[in-house]
Amino acid sequence: MNCKAVIIGGSAGSFQVVTKILNSLPRTFPVPVLLCLHRLKHVRSGFVEALSLKSNIPVEEPYDKELLKPGRAYLAPANYHMYVELANRIALSTEDTVNHSRPSIDLSFVTAANAYREKLIGVILSGANKDGAYGLKKVHDNGGIAIVQDPNECEVKTMTQSALQLTKVDFVYSTDQIISYLQKLR
Amino acid sequence: MMVTDQDYQLFVFALKNSSKYDFSQYSEKSLKRRILKVLTDHSMNITSLVSRIKNDPEFVESIVKEITVNTTELFRDPQVWQTIRFTILPRFKNNSVINIWHAGCSTGQEVYSMLILLNELDMLDKAKVYATDINTDVMDIARQGEYKYRFNLAYLDNFDKVIKENPYNYEEYNDVPYEKYFKLDKANDTIKMLPFLREKAVFKKHDLVTENNTLYVKFDLILCRNVIIYFNYNLQCRVFDLFHQNLYDSGCLIMGMHETILGPPASRYQKKGHAYFKN
Repeated sequence: MNCKAVIIGGSAGSFQVVTKILNSLPRTFPVPVLLCLHRLKHVRSGFVEALSLKSNIPVEEPYDKELLKPGRAYLAPANYHMYVELANRIALSTEDTVNHSRPSIDLSFVTAANAYREKLIGVILSGANKDGAYGLKKVHDNGGIAIVQDPNECEVKTMTQSALQLTKVDFVYSTDQIISYLQKLR
Repeated sequence: MMVTDQDYQLFVFALKNSSKYDFSQYSEKSLKRRILKVLTDHSMNITSLVSRIKNDPEFVESIVKEITVNTTELFRDPQVWQTIRFTILPRFKNNSVINIWHAGCSTGQEVYSMLILLNELDMLDKAKVYATDINTDVMDIARQGEYKYRFNLAYLDNFDKVIKENPYNYEEYNDVPYEKYFKLDKANDTIKMLPFLREKAVFKKHDLVTENNTLYVKFDLILCRNVIIYFNYNLQCRVFDLFHQNLYDSGCLIMGMHETILGPPASRYQKKGHAYFKN
């Protein structure tokens, strides 16, 4: 597959999974990784540091209009929606919450699907609401690969089950399977 | 429903051709979302929206207000305001006048944050505080200086962090009462800024996209927070140039937590913490 980016969404129960994925990616991962994860409202800082600790690739909360580079992970900053703009740039926004969430996983996924079309891999992990389900559908509708973490493995199943209800996804994978799938990207 | 690339272009061109507003260099993804919101709120399709824009100037004004995003709070990002309090404003302490511009002030919470801080530092009298926005409705709210109380409890936490506490000395605690600056009315669910603050700032309509400095003064400090995220990269560069031309030599630009200067204008500013100083 000719992949241009990977986008991962999750909320409650996804932190350990994301940590494990970042810890397993090769240092020279060929594409950017976009992370849209819900967090508690008062946890404004410290999250990116916690993710960086065990990650093989640099993790950052991007600045607005920053160019996306391969081999780096971009975490949606607290209280901002994170979009992918044309010309491979990040765009941030403080518009209203969507599904009570800012960042909204749906919005990140929809804009990434629009920018990368069939060259995008979208992954939905453990989480406590339905955010992300619509976004993953758009990834799939645009010809990208839609992956959902196996709900049986999820700490909280709402997010993955909502995604599975809405879309006939390409793969339902355990964390280890997600990792080996991503490791094969060239 | 979706806003296609074609819908988006129709909207931008209609607005550009039949009004003074130019949204062609706005950030594409968020503008598409705002257009979708307008279409949904008015139960319109793009054809009827565009034809109304062409024929109804008053409608255009209301659409521009609906398109712009107006999120703000009192002392938003307290760590930035601590920096302003302890390292930025003291630089201008010996000025005879200090000019401040809030570009894209929205409903004015940060204007009041600044006024409160200036007063705490005994600098309010020599400060000239200008606040501008493209949206006159939000500026009317800003002039009123009245906000919801229960919805905005974070305002009080932020106030405590910036005004009462000192991050450099945890033992210091300034017990400044809220009533010194605003009236809390829990029964009516309002926070109302006191008149001496409300009368201090000058509010004026201004469009960062199409206009130059229409305040006709230069500035020591420009605050433009979470405004340029709605502009594309090219337009951002223009705005950084505009600010650069209108800052005094020692002047300083403060933006949102995740905004930065990319590209050519970056060399004309020096970044120190949360602030960009004119080179």
